[in-house]
Amino acid sequence: MTRKRFVTLTLIPAIGLLATLALVSIAGAIWFSVMNRTLRSADYEFVGLHNFLRLLRDRRFFNALENSIIWEAITVIGTLTLAVLLAVLIFETVKKPLWRNLICFAFLVPVLLPRVAAAFIWRFLYSPSLGVINYLCGLVGIGPVEFLANPSLALISVAVVDIWQWGLFFTVILLKLLETLPREPIEAAKLDSARTWEIHAYVTLPMLKGPLISLTLVKAVESLRSFDLIFVMTGGGPGTATETLDLYAYQMGINMGGRISYASAMSVLLLIVTTMAFVIIWKAGKKWTN
Amino acid sequence: MANITCKNIVKSYGAHPVIEGLNLEISDREFVVFLGPSGCGKSTMLRMIAGLEEVSAGHIAIGGTDVTDLPPGERGVAMVFQSYALYPHMTVADNITFGLRRQGNSRAEIAPRLKQVADLLGLTPFLERRPKNLSGGQQQRVAMARAMIKTPKVFLFDEPLSNLDAKLREKLRTEIRKIHMQLKTTTIFVTHDQLEAMTIADRIVLMRDGQIEQMGTPDEIFERPRSRFVADFIGTPAMNFVRAEIRAGDELCASGGGLTLTLSPHSFPDLVAGQKVELGLRPARMELCGQNSHNAIHGTVVLVENMGAEGQVITNVAGAEVSFVTKDFRSLSPGDPVTFSIAPDHIHVFDPETGRSLRKD
Repeated sequence: MTRKRFVTLTLIPAIGLLATLALVSIAGAIWFSVMNRTLRSADYEFVGLHNFLRLLRDRRFFNALENSIIWEAITVIGTLTLAVLLAVLIFETVKKPLWRNLICFAFLVPVLLPRVAAAFIWRFLYSPSLGVINYLCGLVGIGPVEFLANPSLALISVAVVDIWQWGLFFTVILLKLLETLPREPIEAAKLDSARTWEIHAYVTLPMLKGPLISLTLVKAVESLRSFDLIFVMTGGGPGTATETLDLYAYQMGINMGGRISYASAMSVLLLIVTTMAFVIIWKAGKKWTN
Repeated sequence: MANITCKNIVKSYGAHPVIEGLNLEISDREFVVFLGPSGCGKSTMLRMIAGLEEVSAGHIAIGGTDVTDLPPGERGVAMVFQSYALYPHMTVADNITFGLRRQGNSRAEIAPRLKQVADLLGLTPFLERRPKNLSGGQQQRVAMARAMIKTPKVFLFDEPLSNLDAKLREKLRTEIRKIHMQLKTTTIFVTHDQLEAMTIADRIVLMRDGQIEQMGTPDEIFERPRSRFVADFIGTPAMNFVRAEIRAGDELCASGGGLTLTLSPHSFPDLVAGQKVELGLRPARMELCGQNSHNAIHGTVVLVENMGAEGQVITNVAGAEVSFVTKDFRSLSPGDPVTFSIAPDHIHVFDPETGRSLRKD
C-alpha cells in the first residue's frame, strides 16, 4: 500500500463523519428554511423564499445583526489590543522567568473556566447591590451603575467578560511569541535610537504580523459563538439590547414562537454572510502577509 | 575626537565574573581588533561599549564623555552584528534609514545620505528589496550601510564575517579596511579568526578568560608574543612547542626532545644552566638545510600538506611531532629523513610553569 493510499484510507472515516454531520445539518436548515414549519403543528408546506423576504422586513433581525457586528468588532479589537498592550508591558517590565511563568499561569485561568461559570461570576461582580465593582464605584462616588440592565452599557459589559477571558489568554501566546523573536534586531533598533514603544511598533510587532493575523481570525471565529455567555448574563436583554443573531434565532425557533423555519432561514443567511466575510478577510490577510 | 577609555571594567553574571578589572585605551581613528577564543569575553566587552550589556563596575568613556549609564542610542556608536540583525519586514532602504528617521530627520535630509552610502557599498540596485531576497554578503553590506549612514563616533563590529564563505569574507574584509581608511572612524572589530585580526588591525587586543593577554600591533603580537598562549593562538600553521633544558657552555643553548638549539644571549640574558624551559618554533620560520648547518634539526617526514605555493611538512623528531613550512615540499615524501633549521633570533622561550615569555628585548 502506498503512503498516499494509506493516508487517504485512514482519513476517510473521520472526514466522512464530520462532513456528514456538517452537511446534514446545513441541508436540514436549508430544507426547513423554505417551509413554514412550527413546533406547534405537524403540518407544513413549501413557501419558497417567503421566510427570507420576511427577514428583510424584520426590524428585530436588523437589530440583532447590528448587535452581532458590534459584538464582533468590540471583542476582536478589544482582545487583540489588550493582549498586545499587556504582552509588551510584561515583556518590558517582568524579566525574571519565575514571575513571567506565574503571570502566564494566572492569565490562563480565565479561559479555562467554563463559559457559564465565568458568566455567573461576572453577573455577581456587576450586581448593583452585591457586586464588588459597584462597591468600588461607590467609593469614588459613582453609581450604583446598572451594568447589565442599562441598554447602552449591557453589550459592552458582556463583551468585557469575553475580552477578560480571551485577551489574557492571547497575552500569554503573544508574550511567548515575543520571547521567540531573535534578540539582534531589537538590539539594532536600540542602537538606532528607537524608544521602547517604537521598537515594538516598528520592529517586534511587524515581525509577528503573521501570527497576529492568525490570532485575529481565530478570535473572529470564536466571537461568533458567544451564545452561552450572552444567554447566561443578559438573555439578550434588557429588551433586545444584547440580542445577537444566534440569540434571536434561538428565541424564534425554540424559546418563544417555535417558528423553526423562520429561525432556520436566519441561520442560513448567517452562514452565507459569515462564510463570505471570512473568505474576504482570509484573502486580504494572505495578501498583506506577503 | 572619539577615543575610547575603559577603566576597571568588571562584568559578572550573578556570582560568576566574566571580565575582571579590564583597562583599555583606544585612540581616535584607530582600528582595534578584539581577538580571542570563544568565551574569552571579547563580545561581552564590545556589547558593554555599545550599551547592550550593563557594566557591573567601572567606567566607559567615548570621546571624553562618560557613557557608562547612557542608553545605546545616545552613545554615538553603530554596530554590525554577526547575524546582520536586519529588520526582516522592511525594505533595504527602510532598514538603512531607520535610525535617522527615529532621530527625527526628514525624508529630504535622508535621501542624499542614503544615496551616498548605497553607492559606496554598491547597494543602489537592491534598495526596494527585502533582506530575505538578498545573499549573505549583500545582507552584511546593508548592515554596514545602516551603521555608516548614522556617521557614528565609533563603529563596532561583532564577528561580522563569520557567517560568510571564505572568499566573500576576504573581499568584505578588504572593503571594511578601505572604508576605514576613507572615513577614519574609530573602530572595534571582534573576531576569533587570527588571520582576520592580523590582516585588518592597527592594533590587536588578545583576550583570554576576561583579561587582556597582550595588546600590540600585529607584528608585535606575531614576533614578540608575551606568553605561550599568544604564541600558540597566532599564526598558521600553529607554533611547535618543545620542552628543553638550558645547557652550560660557551654558547647559550637549549636541548631536549632530540634537538639542540643555540639561542641569542642578547634576547635571553637571564637564562641559567639547568633551567627548564619551553621552546617555541614557528613552522614558517624554519627551512630545509644541509646536514651540518647551524641549529639543524633532524627528523623523519610523517606527512606533507600541500598548501599550493608552500607545503607544511610534519616530521617526527625523537618521538615528537615538529612541523615546518617550505616551498620545496614536493621533493619530500613520508619516511624520508629530513634536516631543517631555525635562526636563533626566531626561537621563542617560555617559562613552562607560568607560560610567560623569557625574552628581554
